[in-house]
Amino acid sequence: MSTRRGARVAVLVFPGTNSEEETIRACRAGGLETHLVSWTASAQTVRGFDAYVLPGGFAYEDRVRAGAIAAHDRLMESVREGAAAGKLVLGICNGAQILLEAGLAPDLDGSTRPQAGFTRNLPGGRYRSTHVHVRLAIAPERCAISAALPSETVLPAWASHGEGRLAADSRTLEAMQSHDHLAFVYCDRAGVTTPEAIPNGSALGVAGVVNRAGNVLALMPHPERDAWTFMHNDASRAKARGDRAATLGVSGGIALFQSFAAALR
Amino acid sequence: MIQTIEIGLTIPDNEAYTALTTLQRLGVEIGGLRRADLWRFELAASAAESFVDHVRTLETIYNPNKHTLRVRHDERPACGEVWIDEPGHGVLESPVRISGRVLPGVERAARSVSWHLQAPEGGPASAEVVRRAVEILLCNPAFQKATI
Repeated sequence: MSTRRGARVAVLVFPGTNSEEETIRACRAGGLETHLVSWTASAQTVRGFDAYVLPGGFAYEDRVRAGAIAAHDRLMESVREGAAAGKLVLGICNGAQILLEAGLAPDLDGSTRPQAGFTRNLPGGRYRSTHVHVRLAIAPERCAISAALPSETVLPAWASHGEGRLAADSRTLEAMQSHDHLAFVYCDRAGVTTPEAIPNGSALGVAGVVNRAGNVLALMPHPERDAWTFMHNDASRAKARGDRAATLGVSGGIALFQSFAAALR
Repeated sequence: MIQTIEIGLTIPDNEAYTALTTLQRLGVEIGGLRRADLWRFELAASAAESFVDHVRTLETIYNPNKHTLRVRHDERPACGEVWIDEPGHGVLESPVRISGRVLPGVERAARSVSWHLQAPEGGPASAEVVRRAVEILLCNPAFQKATI
């Protein structure tokens, strides 16, 4: 099923973005009419879209801090306007870092200053690439992008970052928790959050943050990298071996993009 | 004894240039921006005398082909300068190992970033301009601390 007539999604790229192709494929497989839009596009072009996805990578080489320069890019002015008008915005990995640096999530008080950030992993501050699961930790309808997911959905994804640990002061964390901003938490395959399931020392095991209005979602791990059976890191991949249709079938992380598409119908 | 060493770049610093153009575009009135690593070493008394010479000859934090090394005696940032620290990061405990090599006589090392802001007409930027640059770009207060 396609999105409502004319609903178009822009996958926005900055210099240094590197996950746009797989993000576009996952968006399209989820049912979203998706277009690649570069940072050089005019504001008019960017404003013409109904929703935005900021993919992973290293925008502006992570200069100053991960996401900090991109958060102030001219392109983000249109995204900020769109978010304020209720358009859906999904940031994945570096895209999530950009959204937090831009103050678009968690957006506790409407300030444009960052209230939280995804910073260096703990322990060790090292880059990690590992398969993870994340659980929807809020009521699905709290976030428009997750609204079509069943309650407490567990999604597979790949964590692939050196700066993915949610950090904020204790008061901000309490406010984020009490106002249901902690959209996704790391968990094991069964949906249980354990210290071993958290790849980066993130506060409260948080993997994804939603804004106040529920239309902006910042998600650190990559659901688009576990969106087809051949990408799975479990028995289902072996089970599908030899069956072309099953191996190439969409599954797992694609559910988030299907839910995103459902919100635009 | 505490020894503070500032390691800057002699080659073009892309990160500082990007930060400069971003701040200028956002209306912060500066004419130049320089970035440096600021290392604060806690030294054993026996290591203090020869430590800076030792750093100059070790290929760890200083490479004479592309770095400047400046010993800092001030305990606060200079005029037009801000220090950015990330609590919980950049602190190394004994034995302090940098780039795989142990720095003998160092009991603790802490690394932060120093930004030097210049006014458009030259000279250090005012504290007000530094504060604005910090607020807009140079520090994320959620996990960093700025000392002006």
